[in-house]
Amino acid sequence: MDGMVVGGWEYVWAAYGLSWMALVGYTASLWLRGKDT
Amino acid sequence: MRKDWALVATGFVLLAIGHGLGLFFVPPEAMMGETGRIFYVHVPTAWNCLVMFLIAFVCAVMVLWSGHPKWDARTTGYVEVGTLYNVMLLFQGSIWARPTWGVYWTWDPRLTTAAVMAVTFAGVMVLRKLIEDPERRATAHAVATVVAFVNVPVVYMSVKWWRTLHQDMSSPSTVDSVMHWPLRTAAIGMLLLGVGFAMVRAELERRRIAIEDEAPELPPVPNPLEV
Repeated sequence: MDGMVVGGWEYVWAAYGLSWMALVGYTASLWLRGKDT
Repeated sequence: MRKDWALVATGFVLLAIGHGLGLFFVPPEAMMGETGRIFYVHVPTAWNCLVMFLIAFVCAVMVLWSGHPKWDARTTGYVEVGTLYNVMLLFQGSIWARPTWGVYWTWDPRLTTAAVMAVTFAGVMVLRKLIEDPERRATAHAVATVVAFVNVPVVYMSVKWWRTLHQDMSSPSTVDSVMHWPLRTAAIGMLLLGVGFAMVRAELERRRIAIEDEAPELPPVPNPLEV
């Protein structure tokens, strides 16, 4: 299709991967902070 | 299971469903192709980032209105989660910008105001760490949250007020119906996750404040010997 961005899955995986890492990492930090207090 | 952690778990399940639909079931976007799938992670993060800061603003006003420590703890929770979503938003946007605009970053009004928002709310969190007296800390933190919030409507309206590279606001009414379910499911997932996170963080802060209140007063510092 004319004018359509071709490929780009690596960007998609990077965006989703970073987001899930941030969310899971924050969950872990809350859990660990809860254990300490 | 505690209610806050149940919200976090439900949020993760809905988010996984929304992202799964966006990644594997929805066709590629007409112009952006496969990279358009970043929409289902970026837009729900953006909406909920603003929602988290709006709730933080309301909690901060309640701190100044009532002075009750529970509002202080809640403000702390929503500011922290809003800032997390804000940072995620900037990374997601930069990754999306590269294949569509050709650059990771440009000083477009939407991007610039969103970056300023992240920096100011990070500053609010740092300010909280710097003040030891609980009452002064709660007041200063609430005032700083209210001041930082001034930029939030500017971020929201920036694509309307200025001619900007960033596309106009997205909502279910601006996208094809096939995109509705992944978008809505991921958005509700991010909302539940954000509220759950903020509740857990507020409970941690409430406990920390309680421990601080129970700590015995330190004995007065003796006068130095006079020669």
